[in-house]
Formats: sequence, structure tokens, C-alpha cells
Amino acid sequence: MVQLLGNDTTGLAGAAPAAPAAPEPSVAGPAFAARGLTLSYGGTAVLADIDLDVPAGAVTALVGPTGCGKTTFLRSLNRMNDRVPGFRLSGSLELFGEDLYDGTSDPLVVRRRVGMLFQRPNPFPLSIRENVVAGVKAHRLARRSELSAIAEARLRQVGLWEAVSDRLGSSPFRLSGGQQQLLCLARALAVSPAVLLLDEPTSSLDPVSTAAVEAMLTSLVPDITVVIVTHNLAQARRIADHTAFFHQGRLAEHGPTARLFDDPSEEATRHSLSGHFG
Amino acid sequence: MVHDQHARKTHAAGRLLSSESPPAPSAPEGSVAARGDRSGGVSTWWRRHAEGVLKWSTGGAAVVPGLALAGVLVALLVEAIPAIRGNGLGFFTRSSWEPGNFYNPPVTIGGVTRPAGASYGAWPLIVGTLESSLVAIVVAVPVAFGTAMVVVWKLPRRLSAGIGFCLEMLAGIPSVVFGLWAALTLGPFLSRHVFPFVSRHTPDVPPLSFFHGPAGSGEGLATSGLVLAVMVVPIIASTSRDLLRQVPRGTEEGAVALGMTDLEVARTVSIPWVRTGVLGACVLGLARALGETMAVAMASGVVLGTIPHDAYATFGTIASVIVSQLDSALTDGTGFAVRTLAELGLVLMGMSLLVNVAARLLVRRSSSVALPVGRGI
Repeated sequence: MVQLLGNDTTGLAGAAPAAPAAPEPSVAGPAFAARGLTLSYGGTAVLADIDLDVPAGAVTALVGPTGCGKTTFLRSLNRMNDRVPGFRLSGSLELFGEDLYDGTSDPLVVRRRVGMLFQRPNPFPLSIRENVVAGVKAHRLARRSELSAIAEARLRQVGLWEAVSDRLGSSPFRLSGGQQQLLCLARALAVSPAVLLLDEPTSSLDPVSTAAVEAMLTSLVPDITVVIVTHNLAQARRIADHTAFFHQGRLAEHGPTARLFDDPSEEATRHSLSGHFG
Repeated sequence: MVHDQHARKTHAAGRLLSSESPPAPSAPEGSVAARGDRSGGVSTWWRRHAEGVLKWSTGGAAVVPGLALAGVLVALLVEAIPAIRGNGLGFFTRSSWEPGNFYNPPVTIGGVTRPAGASYGAWPLIVGTLESSLVAIVVAVPVAFGTAMVVVWKLPRRLSAGIGFCLEMLAGIPSVVFGLWAALTLGPFLSRHVFPFVSRHTPDVPPLSFFHGPAGSGEGLATSGLVLAVMVVPIIASTSRDLLRQVPRGTEEGAVALGMTDLEVARTVSIPWVRTGVLGACVLGLARALGETMAVAMASGVVLGTIPHDAYATFGTIASVIVSQLDSALTDGTGFAVRTLAELGLVLMGMSLLVNVAARLLVRRSSSVALPVGRGI
């Protein structure tokens, strides 16, 4: 892990936005591997018996009706569920071959490697510049003198630099919703994650901002593995290489997006997908 | 041009006054009657005039606080003017507090009559007021904010509700009860068991030498400051708690998802989010401490004319001196003593005002990052 941090720091110091993530050690395997994964809150199983490989370096969409457990699944990928009282997990979940829940992994390190973007933009009550480098400072990934360059590189990467370069010291809350979400993306990318999790990141945005965020996401692969929860099946179809369909607490079906949408093998999948498009 | 503008302004004002009550309420009434249509609704006097009545009555109510403030200021000023003239600017620098000899014939200097030998100075009281309030704030702010953080982040809901209840009870205790407690229990305890220890173990170098001195009887600066702190804690703690609860969960989660520890989340998100409001609460607390009368009157010793040399010395504050000296001041046949107390009251109001203005400036400077929520003050 120490060596990984070292790699990332040099990558940041070079301030090269085109190569955000240091390659993970075992790129050949899947990014996440879930085996017999069961997630429950207070004794009630939300997801049961999930077997899923999330391919590395690709966009994977998690779709399904409300309450099917896809967000719970997403939030167990960066151990955000640890903070929920009564959360229990059985089975195994591996991140690039390392078990996330066997007691050896540090949630703080996991969350640095696995970044997250939320449904609503959630900038910190700091200046725009400090927002971008907040994670970098917390993990001490760079020297103080490098922070400005990092902020600029990440803001350029998400296409926000032109809009905010003259007000880096001012409040992020005056930005539009779409710009705030891009700022949060820049903040997540600044710590050089290997994986980026997104929980309906465009559901509160207008179509133009949505297009901007989607374009950003597709440009991240293959350097970063992207996992996105979305209610918008058209969005899944536009940007996802793989799609996993959750239904009533189970993984109903998963595979390449085109095959899943054109020729779903499960009845529930067919019903849901055609219902939305028919 | 000037005339033009004036005319437009008058017109606008006229419109503002008249727009609320359109001048033709009787027309629909007439037409309803003409058509014999009883289901068209009735237009009683109340319905036609409700808006106007409401406007004038609420407007009148809204003016009352302003009138009250102006009235208090004017009355205080009128009462104090002879003292202001008689005491002069030296009032702010003198340390004496001599009511003079009431039995000798009064003297008249500069048109102001006063007992022979009367000489008043507010300097020790101003210092005492500031010092005791400073002690209170320095002690109360960490305790109060710490309480708020623990209640919001660490304690289960049940327990934090209990602590909230305690805070409210604490805020509701009359200050005379606090004063009694300070004079009978806290002061003696501190002077016997705490002050000697602190005094022995602080080095005799400025500014720490302030805590180096005889422990005294328990009446004094430290006891008063601590009692004030206890009274101020509920104000700051309950406001801070409410503010911390308003920090959006999503924003805190954003920090957690970056791999931050609880402490880093607090530093990055929660504390910046509430900083302005907490500052406002601290000013409220400070204002309370500056003006607190009864508890300090009972815990300070109300000493006139001397500035406290150490933390345990007896002293006086403006408010406590006003309340404790009023009785004897009323025996001054010339009225000069009472007028001097009124002048003291003006000084106290001025100090509160200064604190408020300073706080507003501070808040404006510290809140360069505008939050999407209202300011604390």
C-alpha cells in the first residue's frame, strides 16, 4: 500500500490529468469480486447471495427497481455501510484480489482507492480550491507547494477550470448544480482512486450537465474502473460496458450492456427493461 | 428634475398606501343584490377591512420594540446627562468611588450640584466587567462546543436528549440561585481546595502571575467568571448543537467517502459549516456575561474603587455595582449618585453595542465561503 501511495504521489506531482490513476497491481482480474455476498441491516437481508465480477477498467451500471439493493451493494464496495448501525455482511468481497471485509483492510485506505460521487452534489464549505485538494491533504499525498498545481490539473480534467479559474478562493455554493457535481468529481479524482463509485450522479442535474458528467465518466476508463447506480436505463445503455440487473434483493442478471438490453435471458429483466422502453 | 423625482416618490408612496384596499368594495355587493343571487358570498365590513386592520395592528406591534429601545435610551440619557457633565471624561480613567458627605452642604461645580467630596470613576468596573466576562467565555466556549459535538456525533439519541434537557434546565435557573450557589458552595470550595493548588503551581511570571496570589475567601474574579461560564454554557451549547445537527449528512458522507477520519470530517465539513453561527452564539453568551447582574453581585464581593490584581481578588462589575449601590445612592439628596449609576448603565449599553458590532465585523470576515444556509446572526 505504501508503494501504491508513492506511485500516486509522483503521478500527482507531475500534474498530468490524462493519467489519473496508478495502475492497480493485478489489472488482469476483476476490480471487485463478490462471492456469496449477503448484506443485511438489523437482521433483514437487503441483498442475498450475490456473485458478481465487476470488470476492471470498464464502466459497469447497476440497475433495477427502487429498493432492489443496488445502492446498498454500491456502498459496501467502499465500506460506507460500516457506519450504518446494524449492518452485517457475509460472503466475501474482494478489491483487486484483496478481501475488503476480512479485517485486514483499512477503511480509510479503501475509501481513498475507491472514490465515490453522490446523488446530490456535496461540496465542502471550503473554497473551490480547498475542495479539490481536501482529500489530498487528509491523506498527505502531496506537499503543500504542490496543492495548487493539483487543484488546477483536476479542475482542467473535469472541464471546470475555465469557469472557476478566477474564483478559486470563493465559495463553491455559488456554482450551478452541474458545476458543483463536476467539482465533487474533481475532488474524488484528486486522491487518484482506482475505482469510482457513482450513486445516481446525474439524477439532480439538467440534461446538459448530465451530458458533461457522462462524457467525463467515459473518459476515465480504462484508467479508472467506474461503477454507476442509475435509474436511467438510457444512461446505462449510453455509457456502461457492463450492466448488472438487481431485482428484489438478488442479482437477476448481468453481462455486457448490449446483450442484456437486446436479449435478456431472465423474465424479470425482460419485463423491467422492455417496460421502460416499450 | 428634482421636482420630478419628488413627485414620482410621492406617487409611489400613495400607491403603496392605497393599493392594499381597492376603493370599490361596494360594486360587487350591489351587483349581487341586483341579480338576487344570495350564493355570491357576503362582503361584511370585516372582510373588506381585515387586511387594513391587520396591517395597521401588526405594524403598530412591530414599532413597539423600536419605541421601547428609544424610550430606554432617552430616559437613561436624560437621567445621566448631569452626571456626564459632572464626572467629565475622567469618569473613564478614575478609580475612586466617593459618594461624598451627605450631611455637609452640597457644592455646585459647573452647574451640577453634588455632595461635598463626591468623586466617581468607572475604570475598575469596566475592567472588572471585561475580565469576568473574558474568564467566562474562555471557559465556556470549549466546554459548550465540546458538549455539542459529543451530543451530536457520539452519544445515542436517548442520552443526547437527556443532556439537551439538562442544558435547558440550566438555562432556566434564575441567576439569583446561581449567585447563592456561588456564594455559599462554589466559592468556599474553590478557595479551600482549588485556588491554593492553582496558585501554588503557577509560575510567578506575567501573564501567569495573574493566577499567583492569596486564594481569598472565594468571593472574587475567578469564582464570578466560573459562575458566569456555567450560565453561558447552555446558550452556546444548545445553539452549537442545533447548528451541528443542520450540517447536511450528504456533505459529511462526502468527506467520509474520501477516506477521512471523524476528526478530519469535523475539521473539513462540520466546523466550517457551523463556524459563523457558533461565533454568533458566543457573542450572545458574551453579552449575557457582560450584563449579568445578580450572580456577580453575590459572587464578586462588589468591591469599589480597586482593580483586581490577581484572579482571586474581589472586584466589581458595572451591573453588580448598579444593583448593590442603588439603595445608598437614593439617599444622596442631590441625586448625583443615582445619575452616576445611570451613566454607568449607559457605559454598559455602549460596551454591549461595541461587542455586537465587533462580532458582526468578525463574522463578515470569517464567512468568506458563503454557505447555502442562513447566517447565525
